[in-house]
Amino acid sequence: MIESQDRVEQFQREIADMKLRNPATSRDRIWLGIGIALLIAGVVLAVIAYPMSHSTTNPLQQNDAITLALAGIVSAVVGAALFLRYSIASFLRFWLARLIYEQKAQTDRLLEAAGGDHKPPS
Amino acid sequence: MTAHWSPVGAKAPSETPGPPAGQNLLELRDIRAAYDGIDVLYGVDLAVPRGSVVALLGPNGAGKTTTLRVASGLHTPSGGDVLVAGRRINGARPEELARSGMCLVPEGRGIFPNLSVRENLRMMTYSGRSLHEVEEFAFQRFPRLRDRRSQLAGTLSGGEQQMLAMARGLATKPALLLLDELSMGLAPIIVEELYGIVAQIAQDGVSILVVEQFARTVLGVADYAAIMVHGRIAKVGRPNELEAELSTAYLGA
Repeated sequence: MIESQDRVEQFQREIADMKLRNPATSRDRIWLGIGIALLIAGVVLAVIAYPMSHSTTNPLQQNDAITLALAGIVSAVVGAALFLRYSIASFLRFWLARLIYEQKAQTDRLLEAAGGDHKPPS
Repeated sequence: MTAHWSPVGAKAPSETPGPPAGQNLLELRDIRAAYDGIDVLYGVDLAVPRGSVVALLGPNGAGKTTTLRVASGLHTPSGGDVLVAGRRINGARPEELARSGMCLVPEGRGIFPNLSVRENLRMMTYSGRSLHEVEEFAFQRFPRLRDRRSQLAGTLSGGEQQMLAMARGLATKPALLLLDELSMGLAPIIVEELYGIVAQIAQDGVSILVVEQFARTVLGVADYAAIMVHGRIAKVGRPNELEAELSTAYLGA
């Protein structure tokens, strides 16, 4: 019993020390939106930079276009990363749960096909 | 309709004697929850005092499992407060709560059917305990699992699967244990055996919140009970006070 009291006190200490974030499910959606926006902005910047660099022989303006295109690439990479983090991750979690469920269902089917002799009544 | 209840007797201390206020290990205050905008909990108040067993009873669809999901951090409430050891933990990650000592044994057991008993137990070594320690603990509490340790968990009987699920949970040495529909799909004799083990666990000082649709057996081990209907706590009290209310609650009379 002394051990269980210690355990409860340890539990209380750990809960008291726990760092909590604000419950913000909508924050994920905001980051997802930012990711998509950055991804689109990156592509748009690259498309704008291409004719910009070809419409002039001035090296300074071409450098500007190259800088703009590089900024577009960075924007697209960051946007893609955010998109993956806040959309695919949740999908993968769902997929994993689905996989576990399918495995369980498959086991049940195999047992049923085997005649159910391996599963004692309970 | 909503009963604001604490075992300490927030509304009627003389009717529901219990431990002193401030000793609740888990407390839900005016919890509201929804799935895709559809409300399922309408202001649930519930408390689990330190070292006690609380049974949450009610018919199918009453919101019992959602209440457990909110308590364990798996579902974010749309309103109200979840307090663990006196601290508001809304937004805490379930894995953090589990690491601290809150353990949920979910409905449907949540074991890995294609892994052996031993491999399922190995999954619980994340808590820092060695496989040997986890196995010793599990086999001491559930001797039947020792003979089945190399067997695939999916091929165990329903009762043995439930034992494995509980063994996995208890291997983390929880301070607060949340049990969801322990009796689901099991024969009455197995259910009695499992609740005998729950009573032993409670004697060791673990606080337990158990959700059940079939109430009679759990009332034998519970210190307090609450009846939930349509997302609200309809009645609370000592088990002997509630037995007469159960039929009414279930039949909706």
